[in-house]
Amino acid sequence: MSILVVDDSFDSRLLVRALLKDQGYSDIILAESAAVALEILRSQPTDGHSKVDLILMDLVMPELDGIEACRMFKQDEALQDIPIIMVTASSEVENLERAFAAGAMDFITKPLKRVELLARVRSVLKLKSEMDQRKSREEELRSLTSLDGLTGIANRRCFDEFLEDAWHQALGNHQPLALIMLDIDFFKMYNDAYGHQAGDECLRKVAKTIQSIVNCPFELAARYGGEEFSVILASSDAQYAAQVGEKARIAVVGLNVPHCRSPILPVVTVSVGVASIVPSLQSTAQELIKAADDALYYAKQNGRNQIRIASEVKG
Amino acid sequence: MTVYRIQIDQELADLIPGFMENRNSDIIQLTAALQQEDYAKIMVVGHTLKGIGGGYGFPVITDLGAAIEQAAKDQDIDKAYELVAELKAYLQSVEIVYE
Ligand SMILES: [Mg+2]
Repeated sequence: MSILVVDDSFDSRLLVRALLKDQGYSDIILAESAAVALEILRSQPTDGHSKVDLILMDLVMPELDGIEACRMFKQDEALQDIPIIMVTASSEVENLERAFAAGAMDFITKPLKRVELLARVRSVLKLKSEMDQRKSREEELRSLTSLDGLTGIANRRCFDEFLEDAWHQALGNHQPLALIMLDIDFFKMYNDAYGHQAGDECLRKVAKTIQSIVNCPFELAARYGGEEFSVILASSDAQYAAQVGEKARIAVVGLNVPHCRSPILPVVTVSVGVASIVPSLQSTAQELIKAADDALYYAKQNGRNQIRIASEVKG
Repeated sequence: MTVYRIQIDQELADLIPGFMENRNSDIIQLTAALQQEDYAKIMVVGHTLKGIGGGYGFPVITDLGAAIEQAAKDQDIDKAYELVAELKAYLQSVEIVYE
């Protein structure tokens, strides 16, 4: 746990550190400007859990001032959860309103009073730890459910379970099992061009379309990860899977979602890879996934917006 | 000459010599800024003094800093000269006792 102190005044930084250290907060990082603070925050490990638990941000600083910096941090997905306490020698109401509007959680006025500083720091850190706990509980809950939070279709966990079941069924019945992998073409460029919200909306539309192609209990459409989707077809061969995959590809083109950066078509498209297997004791579901993935890779290599079928995996 | 006696927390003792040294360089900067009538510079230094004085246990520095900032805002050079002189005198005469 650490506290980042951003202040252009050298003596201010030292004072804050001395007061916090005296109370047992040992890990205090000092930054003389918002730019330096950003550099420090960006160099932290990006495992989703930032090492900095609190930022004490001076309001009046040359170049990037505290309010602009606060607004910037709050727009950064990796940094927005770090609470910011604004520290200011100007107690003008207008400044405080701007600070809160920019996303600051609290403010302290300079000159610093020890009791006030420590009380604010303690209460914000407590709030932060409560938020962290709630967040990890929510994540835990989400992983226990089988639906993808963004698109509402089956998630990866559900995919894994369904595939395992289908595999054992097919193994017992000596029946084929097919898998379709679909990946949105040039999705990064789509995000760059239209923004992440539009990107999410695109994922939802494509997911819904793929979902509408499958409607029997032996088939499952899932979000495999990122912009990749998959369809499991129990007791189906590659030929049938290819028909389903082609139907999905055409349906996505038919969505007519504009994609100005796509070099192949002015609308969003998908590439599709198909594979099938008759499971045996020597084979694994991983081989089926690998074969479908390889077919998808060939579809991408060959110009995208097309379907490729793997030669039957040896079961 | 008035001698101001200031009580400072023991835990800040290590920081005080450096703090006082930085205030002397503030005086040098302020003096130069006054001569050039560089109000922006005077305002910035005044603002910093206002921010840090009280925190270190010198409320007088905070008050003088605020007044200097205001004088610069008002572009009142005479007032600014007067206040900087007052700050200089204060820094020279202040006596620190650690408790
Ligand atoms: Mg400042």
